[in-house]
Amino acid sequence: MRLWALLRGDVRFQYKYGFYFLYMFLALLYIGMLSVFPDGWRERAAILMIFSDPAAMGLYFMGAIVLLEKSERTLDSIAVSPARTHEYTLSKLFSIGVISVIVGLTIGLVGGAVKITIQFLVGLLLCSCLFSAVGLVIVARSVSLNSFIISTVPVQLLINLPAAAWLFGWQPSWLLLHPGVSMMQLCMPNRPVLPSGVILASWTLAAWVIANRTVAGMFKQIGGVKL
Amino acid sequence: MIRVKQLTFSYTNRPFICSMSFDVREGEIFGFLGPSGAGKSTLQKILTGLLTNYQGSVLVNGVEVKARDRGFYEEIGVDFEFPSLYEKLSARENLRFFASLYKKSRDPNELLASVGLLQDADKRVADFSKGMKSRLNFIKALIHDPKLLFLDEPTTGLDPSNARRVKDIILEQKAKGKTIVLTTHNMYDATELCDRVAFIVDGSLRAVDAPRSLIMAKGASIIRYTFLQDGKEQQREVAIDRTGEDELLQQLLKDNRLLSIHSSEPTLNDIFVEITGRRLA
Repeated sequence: MRLWALLRGDVRFQYKYGFYFLYMFLALLYIGMLSVFPDGWRERAAILMIFSDPAAMGLYFMGAIVLLEKSERTLDSIAVSPARTHEYTLSKLFSIGVISVIVGLTIGLVGGAVKITIQFLVGLLLCSCLFSAVGLVIVARSVSLNSFIISTVPVQLLINLPAAAWLFGWQPSWLLLHPGVSMMQLCMPNRPVLPSGVILASWTLAAWVIANRTVAGMFKQIGGVKL
Repeated sequence: MIRVKQLTFSYTNRPFICSMSFDVREGEIFGFLGPSGAGKSTLQKILTGLLTNYQGSVLVNGVEVKARDRGFYEEIGVDFEFPSLYEKLSARENLRFFASLYKKSRDPNELLASVGLLQDADKRVADFSKGMKSRLNFIKALIHDPKLLFLDEPTTGLDPSNARRVKDIILEQKAKGKTIVLTTHNMYDATELCDRVAFIVDGSLRAVDAPRSLIMAKGASIIRYTFLQDGKEQQREVAIDRTGEDELLQQLLKDNRLLSIHSSEPTLNDIFVEITGRRLA
């Protein structure tokens, strides 16, 4: 199965380029930081750390991954292979999603933020896929790491600020439609699971559809067409 | 295998490829020759489905390229001009990854051995020389045993012995019935490998024929000879069909005064210049 082949390729690529080593180091750093927080703060701090890093890693990593593929011209070979655009994007989302879940779950368990594991995992995975899809949309239009980083700043603000505000008590009901808030609702106990799940899944699906279109355009740009 | 009719393509408002028509027969090596910027790579991108906003008809392996699906690529192998490889993966890992995207694949070890890279199979591509990357890139195009190969400057950057290996593999592929489209500005490769060549200049085809036919039809062979005159070496040349009229040559032969005598045919480059008014390289 081609999706499986692409996924194995992405995991091997991320391992060889040191992404896993970097995240093992960051996970240890976060766990060390959590241990110095007072008990009352630890859970909230863990959720904020998970949301702003393991869950959001796709936003940053997608830039590095795809720009490396562009610079090594391997996208050219993928563009003339039987691999379909949605297989390429799903492989990227799942490969990052696996690391997000492992690192996020580790931090969550240490910080005491994991109450209902399945809910927590679904929220984390969907949120990771959302960030990765947004990262793909941005990187497909970026020509350098600098332009990619600059473009991610407004996205980070749009996703992170309302979610952080919610976590620290500013909770108007309309903010429940925000994807970051939905993820937090899923990760915290005694919250409405289904609406949050549906909202987050809808945002993720929409971002993935847009990512597919943008990546298809990126493959066409290999041919030299400006879109 | 390939049928192109009235192909027109443009990156901007001005046509870049104008009303181009040609066929590539199954099992032949067909070369595109032209200077840089002539439209060779653009044509390859159209034939491989990377550019689909063209006008006219482009049938490749029975499929209109504009309407291709991903299955189209199961039978097409593309060797890009520049290496398209994961630098931190080994040569074997690169081949295995790309092979995994296709339904069928060849043995990576056999391919690596064919271009002298078997002993470097587990070395990272980042540590490869330019020539090694070029050879690996070439065999990557063969990994799924495609029916149709697009090769863009496959011998560029290779030393003569490795260029020979690559050319021998191209000829082996032809012997197996594969169709090969070779894009090059190397007239020697084109003359040696191609059954037919197309001259491309400024996005249009100026001639399509077998290299030998083009050479014989357009150019007369020349005889060059040297001799001593007033203590200095002199050189003269005469068309091979006019040697009987060259009195100086007759006299030199009679007096045994020739220092050297060579015949030379025009090269494909000479014919290219004659037809198009441009140089290949």
